[in-house]
Amino acid sequence: MRTRPVRIDQVIPSIVERDAVSHHTLEAQRVLHSLGFVSEIYACNMGLGLAGRVHPLKDLPRERGEHQWVCYQASIGSPAADAIASHPGLKLVDYHNISPSELVERWMPHLGEEVRLGRRQLAELAPIVELGFADSEFNRAELEDAGYRRTAVAPLMVDTSNLYCPPDRRVVDRLESARALGGHDWLFVGQMLPHKAHHDVIKALACTRRMFDPDARLHLVGRESCPAYADALHRYVSALGLTAAVEFAGSISPGELAAYYSSADVLVCCSDHEGFCAPLLEAMHHRLPVVAYGVAAVPETVLDAGIVLPSKSPVLVATAVQRVLTDHQLRDALVRAGLERTRANSVDGARRAFAQAIEQVLQAA
Amino acid sequence: MTSGVVAEIEAEVRQLRASGRVPPGLEDELDRCFEEAAEASLAARIPVTASDSWFTSGHSIAGLASPVSLAQLGKQATMMARRRLGPSFRRLERRTSLGVAWAGEAASIQAHVTADHLERLAARSPLASRVLSAARPGESIASGAGIVHPSIEGPLLAWVLERLSAAVLERSREAPGLVLHTECGDGRLVEALVARGLDARGADPRWPARADGGTRILAAGALEYLGATVSGTLDGLLLTGVVDRLRPGAARVLVQLAARSLAPGGIVVLVSARPEAAVATDPVAADLAAGRPLHPVTWCHLLARSGLCELAVFEHDESDPDVFAVSARRAVPALLAEDGHP
Repeated sequence: MRTRPVRIDQVIPSIVERDAVSHHTLEAQRVLHSLGFVSEIYACNMGLGLAGRVHPLKDLPRERGEHQWVCYQASIGSPAADAIASHPGLKLVDYHNISPSELVERWMPHLGEEVRLGRRQLAELAPIVELGFADSEFNRAELEDAGYRRTAVAPLMVDTSNLYCPPDRRVVDRLESARALGGHDWLFVGQMLPHKAHHDVIKALACTRRMFDPDARLHLVGRESCPAYADALHRYVSALGLTAAVEFAGSISPGELAAYYSSADVLVCCSDHEGFCAPLLEAMHHRLPVVAYGVAAVPETVLDAGIVLPSKSPVLVATAVQRVLTDHQLRDALVRAGLERTRANSVDGARRAFAQAIEQVLQAA
Repeated sequence: MTSGVVAEIEAEVRQLRASGRVPPGLEDELDRCFEEAAEASLAARIPVTASDSWFTSGHSIAGLASPVSLAQLGKQATMMARRRLGPSFRRLERRTSLGVAWAGEAASIQAHVTADHLERLAARSPLASRVLSAARPGESIASGAGIVHPSIEGPLLAWVLERLSAAVLERSREAPGLVLHTECGDGRLVEALVARGLDARGADPRWPARADGGTRILAAGALEYLGATVSGTLDGLLLTGVVDRLRPGAARVLVQLAARSLAPGGIVVLVSARPEAAVATDPVAADLAAGRPLHPVTWCHLLARSGLCELAVFEHDESDPDVFAVSARRAVPALLAEDGHP
């Protein structure tokens, strides 16, 4: 059995509010505290709201291996990975997936380089990391491919506090008054990044309006993180004459998000790459049926609680949405399965899995 | 189930295409239109060259970490204000430093008054002495050896443990519910909760952190710990000590933090001394203290204002009438309750 360290610190490239990996890192700190370890978070960049809870990377203590372990929250190329590589302590990697460069570099060449670097750094860390754990089986398989000898799955500790936030009344009223004119409401939640493929959801909406539901609307919730891609989406919507039917809601408060979840009819996800995709579970929590393109970790996150499509041809997506909206028996079954899925994927379970991964390293000879 | 449905949907798409209900060329047209929009946006983009990014700039990657330094930002902002506002800013600085000095002195006096007051109250009531022993301000971990830590006993102890464990066990069927005891002293109550099958932890700023025999205690204050706790993560919360010395504003903050930290269905129990006992013991100290115990009805008011429900009060313990306990729960949204979750 290994000597129990005094502290297990976490290192993350960037930590901000309302971000799934950042929230997971804060939760992991809580779990480490509860296990009796001293644990601080060190980041290259941090949101101002987290100042005081997170320290600059330069302050990362460098104690001898048996006293301090370091856990790297990997999701992009970063100097933080180099700080981990040169650290004398025992090393852990918590992998949240790195988007393939080909999906982003057309729009953000610098991001393309960063994700390429991230994958290179991930492979470079493999021989010196004691345990690589991932928030999905899909990500765990990638760790194995990158050369990690010991791996485990510890699900993402999703921020459930937002789920219990009451819906913002003004947004509900606005959405309800639009619904009174007819048509269904589609929803997609995710940062406006190219690999999230908002444009494919817009294509499916255009098909639906031509073929099934001429008054259907789409609400896109999420920060416009890639200006060029966001600009292209605005141009696209305008060119298709869908300006009144597609809403760019941007980054919104938890209450507003709850309003969108409670007012929508279906969540449609056409992402080309997802390491986990927390909004799928959030939608299930809000009894919203899910139609998603089955790529990367999406099938694993949805399991049997949504419609997972083998392709995202706009006609196929539109037909699937139409089926979910008109087949009430299917809709009810999906809602029930979704609630079951959220229960099975509880934060408490994720916390336990994270704690078990740490215990696994402690037990190792 | 859904794989069969997907096969049906694919068959329906084939039928739609065969019947001509899919407008010919629609999908190609949608693709072409997006490519045009993409090209236009990319052409209008401000070019970002590879040399603009840190990783190709020829510097050591590790040396390029640029953390946000609030102290540095503050220093820069102060210098800028001095330059721009000149004498008026310097006057403001002088006034602020005088104000800080005054506030420091006042806080110091109040701490002494509070400490004296608590000592006298503790001497009057045996159980209150144990509850209040964690409420002495200004003591450090180093001086912790002389502290008597709270050990609630008798019918009050039974009530507290029963309320907490019943609510938490009812809520968390799959795993031991997570319970936090703030200002837990040596952790005797934490051990009692663990023995009842709960995943209990303690926090006390004047007691060294430890984790042994299933008892985990962190060196942290109640406000500090709850302020850093992720919303909705505690199944149970036991507040002692800190609740006896809070200013009204701080009491509101504590209750809000407690309510926020509880998961739906979670329970908070607080044990405190009666303010009447404090006044009777030493009215001067009680009047001058910065913080003092609150009445049960005031706690109920604050808890209810923070959205908690199922309020219950335990008082009139014959063995020590100077102590009472209050409990409240966070409501389970109807959406979840009807499905028996969580």
